Amino acid sequence: MKYFIKRVGFMALTIFAVCALTFFLMNVIPGGTAKLVLKHTFVGLEESVTDEQLNQISDKYDLDDPLYLQFFRWIKEAVLRGDIGTSYVFKKPVLYLLALRLPATIQLAMVSMLIAMLAGVSLGIYSAIRENKISDHILRIVTLFGVSMPGFWVALLLILIFSLRLKLVPVTGYGSLENLLLPAAALSLHSVAAVMRVTRTSMLETLGQEYIRFAKAKGLPLWKIVSRHALKNAMLPVITVIGFQMGGLLGGTVVIEKIFAWPGIGSLLVDSISARDLPVVQGCVLAIVMMFLFVHFLVDMLYTHLDPRIRYG
Amino acid sequence: MSLLEIKDLSVEFSSGENAVKAVSHVFFKVREGETLGIIGESGSGKSVIGLALLRLLPANANVSGTVFFQGQDLFSLRPSELRKIRGKRISLMPQNPAGALNPVLKNRLQIEEVFEERGIDKKEGMKKSLRLMKKLLLRDPEKLCDLYPHQLSGGMRQRLIACMSLSFEPELVIADEPTKGLDPEAKERAVELFTKIKHDYGKTMLLITHDLDLALEVCDRIAVMYAGEIVELDKASKVLNAPSHPYTKGLVRAQPRNGLVPLSGQSPSRISLPEGCFFHERCRYSSIECFRKHPEMKNHNGGWIRCHFQSFQ
Amino acid sequence: MDNVFTNKLRKKNFSLPEAYGSQFVKRVFQRKDMLFALAALLLFAGLSVFAPLLSPYDPNAIDLKNKNLTPSEEHILGTDYLGRDLLSRILIGARTSLSIASGVVLISLFLGTATGCAAGYYGGFVDESISRVTDIFLSFPSVIFALTIMGALGAGVFNLMLALSIVHWAKYARMMRGQVLSIKKQEFVLSAITGGAGDFYIIRKHIVPNAIATLFVLATIDFGHVILSIATLSFLGIGLPADVPEWGAMLSAGKEFMRTAPYQTIFPGLAITFIVIIFSILGDGMRDILDPNHEGGEID
Repeated sequence: MKYFIKRVGFMALTIFAVCALTFFLMNVIPGGTAKLVLKHTFVGLEESVTDEQLNQISDKYDLDDPLYLQFFRWIKEAVLRGDIGTSYVFKKPVLYLLALRLPATIQLAMVSMLIAMLAGVSLGIYSAIRENKISDHILRIVTLFGVSMPGFWVALLLILIFSLRLKLVPVTGYGSLENLLLPAAALSLHSVAAVMRVTRTSMLETLGQEYIRFAKAKGLPLWKIVSRHALKNAMLPVITVIGFQMGGLLGGTVVIEKIFAWPGIGSLLVDSISARDLPVVQGCVLAIVMMFLFVHFLVDMLYTHLDPRIRYG
Repeated sequence: MSLLEIKDLSVEFSSGENAVKAVSHVFFKVREGETLGIIGESGSGKSVIGLALLRLLPANANVSGTVFFQGQDLFSLRPSELRKIRGKRISLMPQNPAGALNPVLKNRLQIEEVFEERGIDKKEGMKKSLRLMKKLLLRDPEKLCDLYPHQLSGGMRQRLIACMSLSFEPELVIADEPTKGLDPEAKERAVELFTKIKHDYGKTMLLITHDLDLALEVCDRIAVMYAGEIVELDKASKVLNAPSHPYTKGLVRAQPRNGLVPLSGQSPSRISLPEGCFFHERCRYSSIECFRKHPEMKNHNGGWIRCHFQSFQ
Repeated sequence: MDNVFTNKLRKKNFSLPEAYGSQFVKRVFQRKDMLFALAALLLFAGLSVFAPLLSPYDPNAIDLKNKNLTPSEEHILGTDYLGRDLLSRILIGARTSLSIASGVVLISLFLGTATGCAAGYYGGFVDESISRVTDIFLSFPSVIFALTIMGALGAGVFNLMLALSIVHWAKYARMMRGQVLSIKKQEFVLSAITGGAGDFYIIRKHIVPNAIATLFVLATIDFGHVILSIATLSFLGIGLPADVPEWGAMLSAGKEFMRTAPYQTIFPGLAITFIVIIFSILGDGMRDILDPNHEGGEID
């Protein structure tokens, strides 16, 4: 319980630090913000903007205040009223934009994570059981490529093969299962390979343990030894890696969403960074970090659940 | 009639270009109802024999020779037939009780699984196990079942393992270093335990140990191993009280109550064994013949000994 | 099976670098995969150093008459949408990736080693504050973090190096801290402390030499990650200015012509994959040599 409280406290601290970091980072170029807002307000008329108008904007958003005051105000609004700002570009509350975009990202990330876990773990077990056989060697080479190929390149290759050449699935789109196939495959490949690697190593190590030998000596068949004795032990490092993979996966969504025009917060983030739409950048980063921390929290809980030695201390 | 007959058993471990000869040309028989001890210093290959019998060695082990168990050749059995023998007719008490129990599974499951794949009611089996546990000096067996292995003491774990190996009433029990790593008190209790097993159950047992006290207490006959081969095989009292082979003499003298005279030198490299007697470098009776010719097993005073100079002693 | 090496390390408590310098090289030469990777890396490095001499064309020479050509004898890998020779650009791109990645890895290695060392060696408040900071940096998905920083700084070689270093140093700090904590407990450090050696002397003579091997393994594996990050950022158009030839940016430009000129997306991607594979093989091999029974599972 004490651990739990400590954990939640750290999460809050991290979220706060991340907000502060992005806030100050995005504002390092001083005085630029008001111009930016105007630029998005009077598209094509930037030249005719007067100082008076600039001051008006600055007053409206209190941009002349020192940064720490602005940040303090932002935090206050966020905590008290759940208001994390308004987009300069879309002129809509950031929260609204996030709510609009979040489901697509969660869908993509969850499906990819699921693929990574199922395919990675099962292939890893298979590879470990067939250690040094041909199928193991082939799988290991495939994983080497899997962890080394850039995700966006994989995405492009998939489009090239399955959309442009074979014409099996559309290039972009959102909503149906066939739209999800390519992005999820491209996004999960790296994680599949990483999870598989760890599963294989960890499985091999577990299979060399004495309790496995004893289980064999008891006359149990291989599948029972693997599923009952080895799997749970071998999963501990795998779970840690899955937690870390979640970070890579969320980072990967940015690029994958951009390629497949997937309407998630990853593509929103890239667009907002290019447009310097600070409140939205802030919001996207906040959302992604919160998801990441949440997954890590789950992983930790799962870890303690799986290992009775930690549970009972 | 002999229950177990081992003929010309050799085991080599290949690692890289080198092959380590763990066991070379071992012959012996275990008679129904007797306890045969295999003693020797660590690394003499005694534990490898136990594991080789049940085909539990890792994949890089090269096993040759034949093992007949009640006339059945264990090395030519199919895996499914072998599983019917493992744990049911020949059971293994592994070396290290702490490592032999799966840390993430409750004790009950690990006891129960002895009865799996046998067409036997698990509940019936469990009842039998619980009775056995009571007899083997374990208090409160029901409660014990609901704990995890790390919550037991070393001695309790060993009893639990003994119980697992005995609960199916196997015809042969292989006990591998049951006193290894135990403190003196636990050791005493282990001796007590094995005496009890022997007297109450009359099991045929292959006791692999480096503990001469335990061997003297429990064994009927003793085989002494040095550098992978048997150098002396005779009645227990004879081997330990009036040893014939120079190595056995040294082993007995190295016991604390016999003056703690250590054997000088090291056992030979198992990658390139000496041409003559494996023990000649450390033997105080060594002569030119010992250096040139490897001695064969010879009959001596009703026992067997591998030495050129048995007459001279 | 292969404990000889680590056992030797454990027995020989100090003067570790000499102890395993030659051993290490010997082990590397025993592994065919590492030799292959090493040779490939040297080839890549050579190509990038001598790129201007080797390139058949000026990588930035625009030739609109010959744009989007398929691979032929004149242009072995074809040309891009401005008629620039793809092979020349890929060669010069190796230079960009390798030099930026080297900078990032060196900066992070230095920063991480220094902070991690301070945290592990001094403990207490220093450790607590440094560790919290590294934790926070590590709980940020790295691409997102780098993206945000680049958004603030704007595209540029130096900015990219800075941004990626800010993202990557924490990994090194955490690992160094762990190393220092375990080394600090060993007898030779204790005896040095008892002998009255100063902090700086102990760190320089005992701690850094013993920890550095593990950090080099991390750096090697990380090198590949950094190259991937560089490519990702420039693919998104927020890494490097448009005139710097870089593989990710080339892919991004090429993807517009995927229908008609797919090789423009295939070749730069192959180059990235190839170099990342080299670093994976080297890193994994080094780890196997240093720690034959490592517990599986790399981070990130």
